[in-house]
Amino acid sequence: MPKRPGSELASRPLHFIWIADCSGSMSVDGKIQSLNTAIREALPHMRAVADENPNAEVLVRAVAFASSAHWHVSQPLRVADFQWTDLQTEGLTAMGEALNLVAQQLRMPPMTDRALPPVLVLISDGQPTDDFAAGLDALMREPWGKKAVRVAIAIGEDADHEPLQRFIGHPELQPLQANNPEALVRHIKWVSTAVLKSASSPASQAAGLPAGLNVPIPTPTAGPSSAADVW
Amino acid sequence: MHQLLTLGSQLPTAAGPCTIERFLGGGGQGEVYQVSVASQPPSALKWYFPQQATADQRQALQTLIRKGPPGPGFLWPLELIEAPQTPGFGYLMPLREPRFHGIVDLMKRRIEPDFRALTLAGLHLSQAFLALHAKGLCYRDISFGNVFLDPDSGAIAICDNDNVTIDGSDPGGILGTPRFIAPEVVRGEARPGTQTDLFSLAVLLFYLFHIHHPLEGRQEAEIKCFDLPAMTRLYGTDPCFIFDPADDRNRPVPGLHDNAIAHWGIYPEFLREHFTRGFTSGLRDPQARIRESEWRLALARLLDGIHYCGQCGAENFHDPAAGSAGTCWSCGQPLRLPWRLRLADALGGAPSRYPVLLNHDTRLYAHHLDPDRRYDFVTPLAEVNRHPSDPNRWGLKNLGPDKWVITGADGQLRDVEPGRSAGLVSGLRIDFGPLRGVLEG
Ligand SMILES: Nc1ncnc2c1ncn2[C@@H]1O[C@H](COP(=O)(O)OP(=O)(O)O)[C@@H](O)[C@H]1O
Repeated sequence: MPKRPGSELASRPLHFIWIADCSGSMSVDGKIQSLNTAIREALPHMRAVADENPNAEVLVRAVAFASSAHWHVSQPLRVADFQWTDLQTEGLTAMGEALNLVAQQLRMPPMTDRALPPVLVLISDGQPTDDFAAGLDALMREPWGKKAVRVAIAIGEDADHEPLQRFIGHPELQPLQANNPEALVRHIKWVSTAVLKSASSPASQAAGLPAGLNVPIPTPTAGPSSAADVW
Repeated sequence: MHQLLTLGSQLPTAAGPCTIERFLGGGGQGEVYQVSVASQPPSALKWYFPQQATADQRQALQTLIRKGPPGPGFLWPLELIEAPQTPGFGYLMPLREPRFHGIVDLMKRRIEPDFRALTLAGLHLSQAFLALHAKGLCYRDISFGNVFLDPDSGAIAICDNDNVTIDGSDPGGILGTPRFIAPEVVRGEARPGTQTDLFSLAVLLFYLFHIHHPLEGRQEAEIKCFDLPAMTRLYGTDPCFIFDPADDRNRPVPGLHDNAIAHWGIYPEFLREHFTRGFTSGLRDPQARIRESEWRLALARLLDGIHYCGQCGAENFHDPAAGSAGTCWSCGQPLRLPWRLRLADALGGAPSRYPVLLNHDTRLYAHHLDPDRRYDFVTPLAEVNRHPSDPNRWGLKNLGPDKWVITGADGQLRDVEPGRSAGLVSGLRIDFGPLRGVLEG
């Protein structure tokens, strides 16, 4: 017999989507291995954040892009059930197509009409080889794409910041630069904890936001990123 | 994962060197470790990150340590700790025992306290913040993350007391946690202080009793993307109580806000009136908010009104304003009230409108029988029991040190010595010493 009526606190879905570059250059210097490791490292922390948040039901997916883009994890899974399968590298950088795939899933339906802002994390070490602008347009035409918290991580010195910056779409937020595995681990952990937290429960309600931001983004902790960093 | 202190190392304290035993967790400001001095029971040590170990923070801590804990239930800073070879500083506080669980566990139904424990937790919270405010301090971040409860006993533990400040001193620090911040702070018109603490406390109590937020009704349902502008409107610029009797535009929506609907009706009118006042006039006028002493009184009455359904055993709340006993929220069967004791509100006062329901397991505490010891729920002075040879006869046993004098229907006076019991009969008058009561059944 239940002691008290009702059930658990009503929550909203929070879609979190990794969009990861798996082009050939990611196989150089063990970058893809580092990315796989960084995401695995971040998962328990992500679970802890989700576990302590009664207002959000965090659902995770992943898109991988190389010569074409595909859903690496297609079903939105609760963080508790989310397992990371290693990404494999091959070919080119179909970043535009990746954004297109995401755009299709942010359409209503399949998206529900009530949710928390989705979190989209774009990770790349190079530059798009397909029609990036068309993919970004498709994404930004979707209301959920526009409302999404968009974060980008640039891996290594060769990463082209320009498309990443356009993806973020806000002058005050820049791509996070990861020049070594430690920085990558730190950035991945930051997006899967601090950004996740602020997307569901913005911490400074009255503190005023830079114009155009609908979710406050905490500043990532600065780390060593010197010229000596190598991949 | 921790980085500030080395496990096994020692730091000097007033009682001798303490050993860093275990990393407990990291937060925005620092890291918390379990430490102990020699063979004493362990305590908790919070050590600040270098950028948080400011002179202001140090000063604030010293003030808090000097003032001392406002009451039980606070994991209060007890001693400032510094060491020549370790940068920064920290403070010692009591260790939170494992029996305490976060409110998130309650929201996710990972713990399931009964209504008695939940009501006691609300009462202890009200009492704790009353004591804090009475010391001229304010908390500024009453929310899920900082309050812990023991689901069995209703005991509470309030953490993160290093952000407590003197009301009005306004060092420009934290604004609080979304959904708990008072509307005038959300709008940027006020800074957190005692009056905004009262709002946050009311939100927390509503969450405790409804597993739902008091402002999340149709307006929330109509929001598609629940982002910061949406939250600012809902909790700041256009807040509306979901059960506002004068404004029905934000009623809970079935299917989305079922917890609010399932809980609201089971509480007595006097409790609903408190929430209504707190989230209607109290929403707009900080001076109109429910004071902790009002919550404390209402929750003590709520506790006294708990009784069990004879069919399914579920706890129900007696509503003195209702004409009948009503039906059970759980099984829907009509309820039958147990014996009710109406105690005088004060020495020589009239019998209270809010009776104590005498269940098979009810105990009366100093709170009930001694006006000088209101809210003492530690010392039992009476308990309901059964006649040793006839389980159909109920009695009230004197657990206190003083005799009672009872007056039966025949007008005869009898003494009830400590350890003895008075048989329950309708109309029985009991003179407990400081207070009198009359039995209804
Ligand atoms: N007195 C205590 N006993 C046990 N654990 C504690 C105690 N105080 C804090 N903690 C734990 O330490 C961690 C960080 O503490 P917190 O007060 O949240 O830090 P911050 O204020 O820096 O965010 C949390 O996991 C918290 O549960």
